[in-house]
Amino acid sequence: MQLKSETVLEVKDLKTWFFTRRGTVKAVNGVDFALRKGECLCLVGESGCGKSVTALSILRLFDDPPGRIVGGQVTYKGTDLTTCPVPHLREIRGGDIAMVFQNAQSSLNPVFTIGDQIIEQVMVHERISRTKALDRARTLLEEMNIPQPGNALKMYPHQMSGGMKQRAMIAMSLSCSPQILIADEPTTSVDVTIRAQIVHILRELKLRRQMSIIFITHDLSLVNEIGDRAAVVYGGRVVEVAPVEDILKRPAHPYTVGLIDCLPDISSQAKRLPSIPGNTPNPLEMPSGCPFHPRCSKVMEICRTTVPAPVQIDADHAVSCHLFGHERGGGN
Amino acid sequence: MTEVKPARSGKRLMDYYWERLCKNRLSIVGLGFILFLCLVGIFGPIFAPDPQKTDFTIKNLPPLGFSIEESVYEISTGESTTTVIWGQPDHPLGTDSKGRDMLAMLISGARISLLVGLLATGIAIFLGTFIGVLSAFSGGWVDNVLMRFTDIMMTFPFFLLLVMIVFIFGPSLAIIVLVIGLTGWTGAARLIRSETLSVRTRDFVTASKALGASDARIMFSHLIPNVSSLIIVMATLSIPGVIMAEAALSFIGLGDPMSTSWGTILNTGQHSLDTAWWVAVEPGIMLFLTVLSFNFFGDGLRDAFDPRASI
Repeated sequence: MQLKSETVLEVKDLKTWFFTRRGTVKAVNGVDFALRKGECLCLVGESGCGKSVTALSILRLFDDPPGRIVGGQVTYKGTDLTTCPVPHLREIRGGDIAMVFQNAQSSLNPVFTIGDQIIEQVMVHERISRTKALDRARTLLEEMNIPQPGNALKMYPHQMSGGMKQRAMIAMSLSCSPQILIADEPTTSVDVTIRAQIVHILRELKLRRQMSIIFITHDLSLVNEIGDRAAVVYGGRVVEVAPVEDILKRPAHPYTVGLIDCLPDISSQAKRLPSIPGNTPNPLEMPSGCPFHPRCSKVMEICRTTVPAPVQIDADHAVSCHLFGHERGGGN
Repeated sequence: MTEVKPARSGKRLMDYYWERLCKNRLSIVGLGFILFLCLVGIFGPIFAPDPQKTDFTIKNLPPLGFSIEESVYEISTGESTTTVIWGQPDHPLGTDSKGRDMLAMLISGARISLLVGLLATGIAIFLGTFIGVLSAFSGGWVDNVLMRFTDIMMTFPFFLLLVMIVFIFGPSLAIIVLVIGLTGWTGAARLIRSETLSVRTRDFVTASKALGASDARIMFSHLIPNVSSLIIVMATLSIPGVIMAEAALSFIGLGDPMSTSWGTILNTGQHSLDTAWWVAVEPGIMLFLTVLSFNFFGDGLRDAFDPRASI
């Protein structure tokens, strides 16, 4: 397990709501987490739990309107990203904090070559000559294990394979040596071999550049491969944060327990995979109290009325559940 | 790592479009005629005689290879003599009722038509792109204001407006170009707005934003290049309309009196349709061919740019 190191990004009680005609969608409703230097923090959760919106909120990339950050702070180097002026935010985007999206296919502009796009990205942030930028682009592609980088620079996105595109996209986001990389399900649209490559690349980058990564995924096996710590997100809140090992072996929150039980086990004889009963809550009608209580097997009276506050059950393991009220370490 | 050699690495996208365009013969014929017209418009007036020069001794000469019969009634003798007049090689396309050389006039007309067509379309497409992209990108009240303004502009009967303004400010080419340009952007703005709206939601725009691109950069390096094919096609297809509008203005006598355009020639030709048919027919054919060429070429471009169209 990793020692606590300095925090590079702190998200505190972040609330991003979408004000639609049909009502207010509280997509992110009080997310707390801290990202440490050189670690990979995984945001885990089902579709629609708010993990992507959390990532978009850090850089304020969601559509505004209808979305708005109604509360909380995202602190990076002493600046609150939720309130800082847009020009400053623009410098941080791509310069200090970069983001990779899940669909590389559509995340690259079809009318320009890969080289042009990386160069453009470099020249947005730094005043260097085109030739220098081109050199850097080539080095980056090389670093991404793209064969014949000189050739790849001249290719249009449609001439590349999905894996190459995703790697080119990562190269682009790394072009200004960001401190933090936010990867929003970067491996969902690629096959397993490419997935392994990308995971390998990200792990290497983390070590070599001391970069912090926020890795968003719904895939717990991927969390195991890449993550240092994991934050389980449910109903727009972080319900459990712990080192990956603890999350997988000693899950505390009933939701986390359920998620892990859903993982298929090759040695198990069960005919049917277990699942968590019910569906993710309708974002327009979030349940009162703990958002998980309608699906929770250990639901108590207090769960229906009061939102649980995070409780430290271990030095580096926090959980938001009434089961872990006052007595410490009551898990499992 | 395996060697990856893309089939078309380094090949420009333009080459691909050109290939597709070449498969459409009509559009290539159209392009050929447009290029020919451009050459004539640029260099023709240097070699051609003055189109405004009148010479009544050679009035109403038919084109080369054609003849007309001219009867002269002599009062003193009471006899009428009929002479057959053949076209002369000096004036291969004949002369009009004032003895002006038709070829020289048509060449001058080509220059005027192309000039008006390109300039006015240029203004219109520039405005349309600007307003369309800005409107789609900004959204909200900016979008609303711009689009309602476009709607208002659209409700004006275009030609009536043109006639009115030319009537007020006097007929000059500059006014005609400006008026056509400043009123003709509405359709372009709407189309470009709708296309931009769909490009705007594509992931690469968000991705670029995530990597720190400014609004201007997103507009100029992501939105406009991705709607550029639409812009080119619309420009090509709107040129004939402009040329026709200018011709129509000249035809009803509101053209620039200092210049000879195809519409002006048509106007003079309509008075002598019974004696000198060629004066009206020749500019008519030129207008017809020009408009047709631009339409063919524009259609070909549209198909070449459309990835779904099979050619």
